[in-house]
Amino acid sequence: MSHSSENQQDRILYASDLGKRVKSGEGELVILEALSLDVGRGESVAIVGSSGAGKSTLLGLLAGLDAPTSGALELFGQSLEELDEDGRAALRAGRVGFVFQNFQLLPTLTAMENVMLPLELSPRQDVAAKSRHWLTRVGLEGRLSHLPKQLSGGEQQRVAVARAFVTDPDLVFADEPTGNLDEETGRRIIDLLFALNRESDTTLILVTHDLALARRCDRCLKLENGALQPLEIDRHAEVSA
Amino acid sequence: MSLIALSLKGLKRDLRAADVRALFMALTLAVAATTMIGFFLDRLDRGLTRQAGQLLGGDLVLEQGQPFDDDVRQTLREAGLRLSDQVDLVSMISQGDAFQSAGLKVVDDHYPLYGEVRVDRGDGIEAVAHGPPAGQAWIAPRLARLLEVKVGDTVQVGSASLRVGGLIDREPDQQGGFSGLTPRIMLDRADLQATELVRPGSRIEYELLAAGPPAAVEAVAARFERWREAGIEVRDVRVDRPSLGRSLERAQKYLSLAGLAAVLLAGVAVAMATRRYVDRHLDTAALMRCFGASQRQLGQLFAWQLGWLAIAAAALGALLGLAGQAGLLALLVRFLPLELPPPGWLPFAMGILTALAVLVGFAGPTLIRLRRVSALKVLRRELDPIPAAGWVVVGIASLVFGGLLWLYSGDPVLAVGILLGGLVALTVLAGAAHLLLSLLLGALSRFTPSGNGGRALQLGGRQLARRRQASLGQLLAFSVTFAAMAIIAVVRGDLLTTWQAQLPEETPNYFAINIQPQERDGVETLLEDAAGSASGLYPLVRGRLTAIDGQPPQARVPADNANDGALRRDLNLTWREALPDGNDVTAGEWFDPDAAMRATGNVPISVEEELAGRLGLSLGDTLTFTIGSDTVTGEVTSLRHLDWESFQPNFFIIFPPGVLESFGHSFITSFYLAEGNDALLGEMVRQYPGVSLLNVEALLEQVRGILTQVTRAVEFVLGFVLLAGVSVLYAALTASRPARAHEGALLRVFGASDRTLSRMQWSEFALLGLASGLLGAALAEVAAVGIFTWLGLSPRLHLTMWLSMPLLGAVMVGGIGFLLSRSTRRHSPMASLRLLGET
Ligand SMILES: Nc1ncnc2c1ncn2[C@@H]1O[C@H](COP(=O)(O)OP(=O)(O)O)[C@@H](O)[C@H]1O
Ligand SMILES: [Mg+2]
Repeated sequence: MSHSSENQQDRILYASDLGKRVKSGEGELVILEALSLDVGRGESVAIVGSSGAGKSTLLGLLAGLDAPTSGALELFGQSLEELDEDGRAALRAGRVGFVFQNFQLLPTLTAMENVMLPLELSPRQDVAAKSRHWLTRVGLEGRLSHLPKQLSGGEQQRVAVARAFVTDPDLVFADEPTGNLDEETGRRIIDLLFALNRESDTTLILVTHDLALARRCDRCLKLENGALQPLEIDRHAEVSA
Repeated sequence: MSLIALSLKGLKRDLRAADVRALFMALTLAVAATTMIGFFLDRLDRGLTRQAGQLLGGDLVLEQGQPFDDDVRQTLREAGLRLSDQVDLVSMISQGDAFQSAGLKVVDDHYPLYGEVRVDRGDGIEAVAHGPPAGQAWIAPRLARLLEVKVGDTVQVGSASLRVGGLIDREPDQQGGFSGLTPRIMLDRADLQATELVRPGSRIEYELLAAGPPAAVEAVAARFERWREAGIEVRDVRVDRPSLGRSLERAQKYLSLAGLAAVLLAGVAVAMATRRYVDRHLDTAALMRCFGASQRQLGQLFAWQLGWLAIAAAALGALLGLAGQAGLLALLVRFLPLELPPPGWLPFAMGILTALAVLVGFAGPTLIRLRRVSALKVLRRELDPIPAAGWVVVGIASLVFGGLLWLYSGDPVLAVGILLGGLVALTVLAGAAHLLLSLLLGALSRFTPSGNGGRALQLGGRQLARRRQASLGQLLAFSVTFAAMAIIAVVRGDLLTTWQAQLPEETPNYFAINIQPQERDGVETLLEDAAGSASGLYPLVRGRLTAIDGQPPQARVPADNANDGALRRDLNLTWREALPDGNDVTAGEWFDPDAAMRATGNVPISVEEELAGRLGLSLGDTLTFTIGSDTVTGEVTSLRHLDWESFQPNFFIIFPPGVLESFGHSFITSFYLAEGNDALLGEMVRQYPGVSLLNVEALLEQVRGILTQVTRAVEFVLGFVLLAGVSVLYAALTASRPARAHEGALLRVFGASDRTLSRMQWSEFALLGLASGLLGAALAEVAAVGIFTWLGLSPRLHLTMWLSMPLLGAVMVGGIGFLLSRSTRRHSPMASLRLLGET
């Protein structure tokens, strides 16, 4: 990927006038409309919005999992319009990590194998060592060979976090990572996520409906009526969502 | 990591999953069944060819009326064939005042090319791999009796005096028990000159026997035509192999059928297991897409993964098949005097091909889904790629199965026929399944349940109804499964019954031949008193076929058979009013007793169908026989199929009464003599020394033995097919487990007790099994009509099947389903629901 101009060098992700419409039963449903976003390297951005606001849809677009119906999108300086689905996948390979609300661990793989999975897609030697390192980093060094069903929800999400960071990604997407966890466990996962993010100097795009979580990011944006608005929140006050 | 390594790794991890194990098991079974049967049939076939070679005296037999040129010899030798010369003629043998006509067989140092001669040289019967030494003659015991000579005496053969060196018990190259009616005398080539029997005008047959690998025979095959044109009769063991006996032929067909049934069953199992495999891997695929894998990579990854699975299954299956065929052979070979060649490679290659074909055909369309999965699925669970349409799945599977049928049968018409029939049956079956399901569920919803059992039944029925589409799919798969199992089981039953009926307890074990007309009544009375189940006496007239439709037969018959033995030797003719037992008229009509003469004025005659085929005879042809110095002409009015294994006197040509009586004739009969009843034999020999008795007990035992052992082989293969059937049930039920577990968990949450739940699940499975069994029975009954005809059995209705299949279906599906769902019931509802979140 060539970084064509200087001011783009620190830019990881850039979206302008992004729109997503889907055909539904009654007609066309507009989920996102003329949405713009600019994310720099090392930033952490929170996108908040109520359930059904289109957060997951947006995240899917930003990660190149889906194609927008209108607007332009650049990831790592590469315009996604020019790429087909396989091209977008290749762009993601090794550079993007994901954490999902429902963990998305493969049930027949052990914790270790789940973490190894993204590494195995590219030819490299240190797959096992790296995976072990990251599992140790999330505090699961004793659970390497456990299957997901033998782990608690919080532990499963830690495995997912380790899996997101194992490729040393430039960008990590998290879609409601605490949504399926209790408050205390969720908080610990978020602590971990932010700690890893800081240490490895990655960019984090976090989607949540939880304002308390969003507060911990460098920047907060609210998704409403298909567009993003900056959200000013008092970082020290209790917020009721 | 390379895709190949990754796929291997993925497969290793995947082996924990039930669907992958089911896939593996099904593929292994398919390969094991086909290779086992393939190996077995291949070796049996080659062994039987070798045995036929032994009976023929070599793999290739040339015969003509004069000595063979060095040119012919040279050709055969250069091809790598071993040669042996033989001279056959009929002559009078004498000792003192006693004369007897005998069949001379003059052999050289290379005799016999295959097998051994069993001969008694004074120290009991021994098996030796050579003929008599120069200066000696080995003779049939009957000849010794007629001439009243024993070992050590001298007999006169033409101008030569030869010492009787031994009594022949059995020659390796002698077909049938009583084909040569003149008793045998065997002498060495060195003594032929001294007999002075080789003179111009004497009827002598020179035979050149050749033995060697099929490739060597093939190498000289191009010469056959030229040799035949030169008047040489050429018998090629590969073509002129005596037909196998119907029982063995049927057994072979049955085994092929069972192999195909196992492949079909395995295919169904693969199709069912693949659905679950794909469902499970949609998440994997979506995640991999997220992590940056391309469609191509994913496609290759899963293709490799399943490819490894197929290869591993093929290897294991082939090993099992190899072990299985060894088992089959161990069962059979004791009774087949066969020296079997080692297993060939072809069945192995076919096994691997079968595994891959089954995988591609039965799993392919479903697997394509994995490639098409969108990465977005990780965010939106419901975003599953659309499954391939049912007809596409069935269509492709049918095409591949049809291809396999073609491959195995070598008959495209048969393959297409079976395929079309199968598709029509499947369509009708789908309709019937739909109807049956509606009827069953309608009936269940109308009746008011009494007690727990009734309620459980109703609940189970509702469960089926709710998953109508899936239930229908399972119903179809199970019906096909049960039908395949039922067919193999039912055909087995009828085969065994036929075999048992074929050789009843008192099957004749002796033949008496050469009974003179004046001895007829005496022999008949003697046999009636002492022996059980005599076949009755058949008159026997020896005549040569000298014209067909007034032309020389050589000019009329297909060119390849112009030198057929039936044209150069006397044929056994008989006359008879009624169709002999065990004969079936296959064309034309049996003699009408009221109209012995045809309107055309010709005598009607009945011809055995195989001979008719060889000589190109059809109804309406006239045959002229030369008997002594007279001729008789008849018109072919019927063709007969006859059972050569019946141990009854069998005839190629039968005349109606009133035509042949005036010619010189003798009688022949077969009868059963219980063991130890030797008095009768002694009496026969004493009263009628001219009558020859042939003991066919050994042959009978051999046929019986083959039937017993083939029966066991059939049972063995049936077991295999049943196993394949169970694997289908297992695969299918495994595939549907998660959905059922979810419902179970929800019902538990809503307060259903474990008992209610287990009863409900049991009823659901049992209902499914009951319906499948019923449809399976219907499908089997329809298919059986075709299969029975193909096997030469008469179709019949199988009433017990209609009863037992639904019951068995209910018990088997109910049982397996119940066991498989036990583990989900054991979990707490919480765990079950959680389990769901993960899958
Ligand atoms: N492919 C689609 N087809 C139909 N509706 C969709 C599709 N994708 C998203 N939606 C709808 O768009 C809205 C936003 O969905 P989503 O992005 O999942 O919201 P969030 O993650 O903020 O809860 C929802 O109402 C959802 O039903
Ligand atoms: Mg969402």
